[in-house]
Amino acid sequence: MIDARDLVKRYGALRALDGLTLSVERGELVGLVGPNGAGKSTLIKILATLVHPDAGAAAIDGFDVVGASGRVRALVGYMPDVPGLYQDMRVRELLEFFADAFRLRGARRRAAVEGALARAGLADRADTFVEALSLGLKQRLFIAKTLLHAPRLLLLDEPATGLDPLARIELRRLLRALNGEGITMLISSHILADLEDICSRVTFIAAGRLAGESAAATPRSLTCEIELLGDSARALTLLRERADVRMVESAGARVAVEVTGGPEAAAALLRDLVAAGCAVVRFDPRGGLEERYRRAFGGAAMSPRP
Amino acid sequence: MNPMIRKELRQRMRERRAWLLPSLYLLVLGAVVIVFYMTVTTRPGSLEIAVQGATLGQGIFLAVAYAQLSLLLLVAPVFSAGAVTIEKEQRTLAGLLTSLLGPADIWWGKLAAALLYQGLLLASGLPVLALTLAFGGIGPRELGIALASTAIVVAAVSAAGLYFSCFFRRSVHATSVTYAFIVALTVVPLVAHAVLASLVGRVAREPTWLPYAMAPNPFYALSVGLFGAAERAGPWVGSLAFFSVLFAAAAVFAVRDIARGGEQA
Repeated sequence: MIDARDLVKRYGALRALDGLTLSVERGELVGLVGPNGAGKSTLIKILATLVHPDAGAAAIDGFDVVGASGRVRALVGYMPDVPGLYQDMRVRELLEFFADAFRLRGARRRAAVEGALARAGLADRADTFVEALSLGLKQRLFIAKTLLHAPRLLLLDEPATGLDPLARIELRRLLRALNGEGITMLISSHILADLEDICSRVTFIAAGRLAGESAAATPRSLTCEIELLGDSARALTLLRERADVRMVESAGARVAVEVTGGPEAAAALLRDLVAAGCAVVRFDPRGGLEERYRRAFGGAAMSPRP
Repeated sequence: MNPMIRKELRQRMRERRAWLLPSLYLLVLGAVVIVFYMTVTTRPGSLEIAVQGATLGQGIFLAVAYAQLSLLLLVAPVFSAGAVTIEKEQRTLAGLLTSLLGPADIWWGKLAAALLYQGLLLASGLPVLALTLAFGGIGPRELGIALASTAIVVAAVSAAGLYFSCFFRRSVHATSVTYAFIVALTVVPLVAHAVLASLVGRVAREPTWLPYAMAPNPFYALSVGLFGAAERAGPWVGSLAFFSVLFAAAAVFAVRDIARGGEQA
């Protein structure tokens, strides 16, 4: 679905993209992570036909993003990091305008608008001005607007920014459902837990280049933070004896280990610790994405404790 | 119908200035008529010199036409120079550029909406302008020339404002530059004409090309074609040709900048 090769994009002296190559298969839900300024938004803007690369090429479903930008736009739904909506339009008017902008006509236009209203849960607020909607509802409206022309690829740049936890949960559910309908997605986000939850693959990008990839976001390697009460010597001995555990960090009663074998191995470890009489007061298995991110970009895997 | 035009007009007519501006516009034009009439007819000795209806009609006509053009030149940057920058400021430009609307559709939608509103103002001032027909000295020809000249000048200035709106990121910059451009169009030809006239002043007969130095002046474009002198037809056509070229150039550059506008979106 996405085939980007050796993309280079310069802004003055800054090389936002420096020979980036990325491929996404149809139906995949791919996460794009990296530090600020890594080139994520530039990549997404190039794929959305907003920005032309200085070198390299990118194609969506075989259509070049520069040479066949019209064909690409018909296939792509793009949501920028700050999704702008016309605040002084009513919800229905806004959807009708974008339906017209995507050249939908007659019954197809009506169905697209009604479908978007239903999908966003805004059917009863169709005549409300956009400015009166909450941030979460605006986000839903924007996604509904993005889906009006039935795109086959969604490019989402930081879609969860500013959303409250409930809205984030709802967004994840929506994205999973859309992916289930066969829509391919490329999502840039700093919220690793969200990506880990929904993505089939996560790509790391740094300094405009590919910095690594995880084949599947379903974590086979977990970082477990364990907090023990009292003497931790017995627990440390047990942990060191296990073949599926690698010690990452140990500080007094707090231990961080990397467990291979996924959630099942983590559950078995907790069971064994408790069975061995260790007083475990906290057992926090985290997805491997955070650890992989730390390895790729540096910094501590464990957050400092007060 | 281009969806941009419908959207722009809908948004524009919801603003308070949609009804406030035509009201103020008509008030100012009405005030110009009253002030001019009172000034001429109450001047000491005006009855003795028997101000002719035709003279009064032409005077009022010119005053209203100038006032109308001045007002429209004040209003044009408000509607054109902010048209694209507001999309950048509200972060809505990306939505337009990633739709199936082409850069020319976006440009035409923005320009047409701005011109339609200014056309509304121009049309609303028509009864005031036509009032002078009753005094004599003014015919439908003068009325048509004034309206056509005003429309062409305002369209060109609006197209220039729209180009600045595509070029700059912020409305305040685009609007300021558009006003500066209008001032330059008004003042530079006057200065250039004065300098050239002083240089050729020693020549017995004014060169035929000299009036063309005034061609970029919007008020010259309005008035030079009026009141019939055949020798003025050339400069009038030259002036309108200048504004037509300005319109075309602004259109080409604006569409090009919209097409490249993704980096500002």
